[in-house]
Amino acid sequence: MESPKKKRHYDYTLLVVVVILAVIGLILLYSTSTYNGQVKFHDSFYYLKKQGFATLLGFTGMLIIANIDYHKWIPFAVPGYLVAVVLSVTVLFIGDEYNGSKRWLSLGPFSFQPSEFAKVALILFLAWFVTKNVKKMGEIRMLMLTLLPVLPIIGLVGASNLSTAIIILGIAGVLIFVASPKYAQFIWMGVAGVGFLAIFLALESYRLERLAIWRNPEQYEKGYQTLQGLYAIGSGGLFGRGLGESVQKLGFLPEAQNDMIFSIICEELGLFGAGFLLILFLILIWRFFVIATHAKDLFGALIATGAMAHMMIQVILNIAVVTNSIPNTGITLPFISYGGTSVVFLLFEMGLVLSVSNLVEWKQGK
Amino acid sequence: MKNKTYNKKKILVVFLFCFFIILVLIGRLVYLMIFDAEYYQKKAEDLHEREREIKAARGLIVDRNGTVLAANRAVCTISVIHNQITDPETVIRVLSEELDIEESRVRARVEKVSSMEKVKTNVDKEIGDRIRDYDLDGVKVDEDYKRYYPYNELGSKVLGFTGGDNQGIIGLEVKYEEELKGINGTILTMTDARGVELEGVAEDRIEPVAGNTLQISMDYNIQAFAQQAALKVLEEKEADSVSILLMNPQNGEILAMVNVPEFNLNEPFELNTEMAGRTVSDEEKQDLLNQMWRNGCINDTYEPGSTFKVITASACLEEGVVKLEDTFSCPGYRIVEDRKIRCHKVGGHGAETFVQGIQNSCNPVFIDIGLRLGSDKFYEYFRQFGLLGMTGVDLPGEAGTIMHKKENIGLVELATMSFGQSFQVTPMQMATTVSSLVNGGRRVTPHFGVAVLDQKGEEVKRFQYETKEGIVSEKTSATMRMLLESVVSEGSGKNAYLEGYHIGGKTATSQTLPRSAHKYISSFIGFAPAENPQVLGMVVIHNPQGIYYGGTIAAPVLRDIFDNVLPYLGIDKDKSSMAENAGES
Repeated sequence: MESPKKKRHYDYTLLVVVVILAVIGLILLYSTSTYNGQVKFHDSFYYLKKQGFATLLGFTGMLIIANIDYHKWIPFAVPGYLVAVVLSVTVLFIGDEYNGSKRWLSLGPFSFQPSEFAKVALILFLAWFVTKNVKKMGEIRMLMLTLLPVLPIIGLVGASNLSTAIIILGIAGVLIFVASPKYAQFIWMGVAGVGFLAIFLALESYRLERLAIWRNPEQYEKGYQTLQGLYAIGSGGLFGRGLGESVQKLGFLPEAQNDMIFSIICEELGLFGAGFLLILFLILIWRFFVIATHAKDLFGALIATGAMAHMMIQVILNIAVVTNSIPNTGITLPFISYGGTSVVFLLFEMGLVLSVSNLVEWKQGK
Repeated sequence: MKNKTYNKKKILVVFLFCFFIILVLIGRLVYLMIFDAEYYQKKAEDLHEREREIKAARGLIVDRNGTVLAANRAVCTISVIHNQITDPETVIRVLSEELDIEESRVRARVEKVSSMEKVKTNVDKEIGDRIRDYDLDGVKVDEDYKRYYPYNELGSKVLGFTGGDNQGIIGLEVKYEEELKGINGTILTMTDARGVELEGVAEDRIEPVAGNTLQISMDYNIQAFAQQAALKVLEEKEADSVSILLMNPQNGEILAMVNVPEFNLNEPFELNTEMAGRTVSDEEKQDLLNQMWRNGCINDTYEPGSTFKVITASACLEEGVVKLEDTFSCPGYRIVEDRKIRCHKVGGHGAETFVQGIQNSCNPVFIDIGLRLGSDKFYEYFRQFGLLGMTGVDLPGEAGTIMHKKENIGLVELATMSFGQSFQVTPMQMATTVSSLVNGGRRVTPHFGVAVLDQKGEEVKRFQYETKEGIVSEKTSATMRMLLESVVSEGSGKNAYLEGYHIGGKTATSQTLPRSAHKYISSFIGFAPAENPQVLGMVVIHNPQGIYYGGTIAAPVLRDIFDNVLPYLGIDKDKSSMAENAGES
C-alpha cells in the first residue's frame, strides 16, 4: 500500500457508463415521448427539452461534486436529513397533485420531487450516522436506533409514494447490513419483513387485487398497462422494430415515457438492445461495488454502497414490474424514465461516488 | 473509520445478490421475448390493425341476349372515426347539410365512442367527393358500389333490389345472392390508439372478388312489351293490377313476368301509389312497401276459374270418363245435392258435345265430368299434375296451393272445383300446370336463372332444372292442344285469335272473395303454336271496371303480345292456314 506509484483519479469506467446511460436515456426518452408530447402539448420535443435541461443541470452538479472531497459533506448530513423531512411534510400540504398523488413542489417554472432529494440525503445521513456508531452496529439496539431516523422519512414519503418509500427502506437496510458484522439477525429481519409485508397486503383488499392482476393481467381492466407492456416486450423479438418504430407508444401504453419505458425499449431494440441496457446497469453496479470495496474509509464505502443499493433496487424493481415478474408498483428506471428531479439527484449521487473513487488509492497494474 | 474486511464481504454479498437477480430478470426477458413473443405479437397486431372492408362489386344480371338489367354504380360510404375528429361541430354541420340528415342523428354518430361509425351508405359520388374536399379530420369517404337498374321499373318484382350492404332484399337478387355477391376484400392498416392510420407502414390488402354475372331467361324486349300491354289494360280497365306471364312450356324458361304497377328499383323505398304523397306511420309505410314489392304471379293465390277447366278436362280424358263426342245438356244450372250451381250463361247452352262444352266454357258440363271422375280420382290427378306442391320457381316467397283436405271434398266441393272454384293457386302454378298438359305431359320447373358467367362472359355454371315425365299421356296432351285451339278459333277465346297462327287458350272470369264485393279477376291462358307450343302466356287482370269477362278483356291482351312476340321469336305464320282463310273470306 505504500507504493510510491500511487495514482489518484476518478473511476473512468463509472464516468463513461454514466455518460452513456444519460445519453441513451435521452435518445430513448425522445423516441418514446414524441407521440405523447405531440398529442398533449403539440410539441414532440416537450419531454426531451425538460429532461435534457435536467440532465445538463445534473452533469454540471456531478462534475462539481466529484471534485469536492466527500468528507466536506459530513457537516451537511444532519441538516440535509432535516431538510428532507421538512420538504416531505411540505409536499403533503402544498404539493401539486398529478395522477392522484401529491409528489411535486412547484418553484416557478420548475417542479421538484422532494422524495428524490430524500434518497440522496438519506444515503449521506446514514453513511455518517453508521460510520459514527460502527462499533456498536452489531447490537440489535443500535440497529433499531439507526432505523429510527429513517422511519419518519419512510412514513412521509410513503404517504404519497409507496414505491419510493420501499426504495428508501431498502437503501437503509443494505447500509445497516453492510455496517453490521453479523448475518443471523438480518435473516430474522428478513423473515419479519416478509411477514409484515403479508399483513400489510392483506389489510387492504385493493392490494390483494393487485396480486390477482399480477397473476392474470388479461382478466382485469386494471391489468391494462401491464398487458400493454407485455405486448410491447413480446413484439420486440430478438432485434426489435427499430429505434422510433414502436407502435405501443402510440397511445396504447399510457405514459410510455414513465415507468413502463423499458417495455418500449424492448419493442424498439429487441432482446439485444434491452439486454445491452441491462448490462450497462450491471457494469454501473459492479463499479459501485468496486469503489465501495476499495474506498479509503467506511464513510466513502457506505456512500458507494448506498448508491449501489439505490441503483440496484430501482433497476431490479422496475424491470421486474415491466416484465410482470412482480405486481405493478410505480418505480422509474434510473436515467431512462422521464423525471427531471430524479435525473438531477441521480447525477449528484454519481458525483458523490466519483468523489469517493477519486480518493481510492488504485494499485498500479491491478 | 476503516472500511473493514467484513464490510467488504457484505458488500460482495449484496452485489452477488443483485447480480443474481438481474440474471434472473434477463432470463425472464429472454422467455418473454423469444418463447412468448409470438403470442404477444399476435395480440399486439390485433390491437393495432384496423380492418376496412372493400366492397366487392356485385355481379350483373343480364337477360337472355346479354342486355344488362342490373348493374353497379360507384357510390360512397361516409363514416366518422370518433377519436380523430378535431372539430366535431363542423363535422356535424357539414355532414348533416351535405347528406341531408338531421343534426341530432349525425351528432349521435359523431359522439359515439367507437373505432368507426358509418353515417350514411350509398351516397352519390359527387356528394362524397364534395365531403372529401372539406378535408375534415376523422371523416372517411370510402368508395364502393351501389346497385343500379338501368330500366328502373322493368321486371322490378322479379329482379328485386339490394339493401345498404348490397345484399339482396327481394326477387332474384335474394335467390342468387351467393352467385352475385362476390367476396369482400379488406384493407388492414396499422393505427395508433386513437385510430389514426400510421404513415409508411405497409398495409395488407386483400382484393375483393367481384360477383359473377347471372344470365336469366327473361327477354328485355318481351318483358318491356308485355309491361306496356299490361299498363295499357290496367289504365283502360282501371284495374287494381295486371300480371302477365310468358314462358317456354317446353323447358320452363320464363320470358317475361310483369306485375303492374311495378315500382322503381332505383328507389325501392318510395311508394308507387297515391299514398306516396300522404304521410303514413313507419309501420303503415312498411306494410305498403311490402305490398308494393309483392310479385302477384308467385306470391299471391287466386281462384283460377274457367282456365282450370283445362286441368279438369285433361284429368277426365286421361281417366277415360269422357269422350269428345259425349253429349251434355245445360239448362243454365246444375243442382248438386241441395245446391243450385249456375252456368255463366243464364239461359243455358242447351244440348252440346264435350267439345262444344269446353268451347262454351260451360259449367254444368264440367260439373258432370268432375262428378264422373269422383273426388278420390280428382284429388289424385290434382296431385299428379303437381298442383299440391309448388312449382319450384327460382324466386323467393312462392305461395302454396290452398286446397280442401281430401276427406272434406264432398260432391258440392267436387262440382265447384271442376270449374276452378273453391281453391286457390298462383298464376305461376296455373301456367306451369297448363304447360305440362300441352307439352306432351312433361312437368317443367319454371325458372329465370339460366347460367352463371364470370367477368369475361365465360360460362361458369349452367343451371339444371327438374322435369317430370308422364303427367298425362301424349294422346291426352294432343287432344287438349286441339281442344284449346278450337276454344280460340271457334269458342269463348276467339278474341285471342291471330291470323296466321294456331293459338290454343282458355279464358276465365272469377269472382274474388267475398262474392258480395263484386270484384272479378279476368284471365286468359294461351299458347302458340297450338300443335307444338313454344310460348305460353297468361294474363291476369285484377278487379277490372266495366266489362270483366276474361274472353273480352284478357284474351286480346295476349293476342297483341303474341302478335309481336311470335315473329320476334322467329315463329313463322302458317302460310297454308292464311291461304285457307283468304280463300274462305
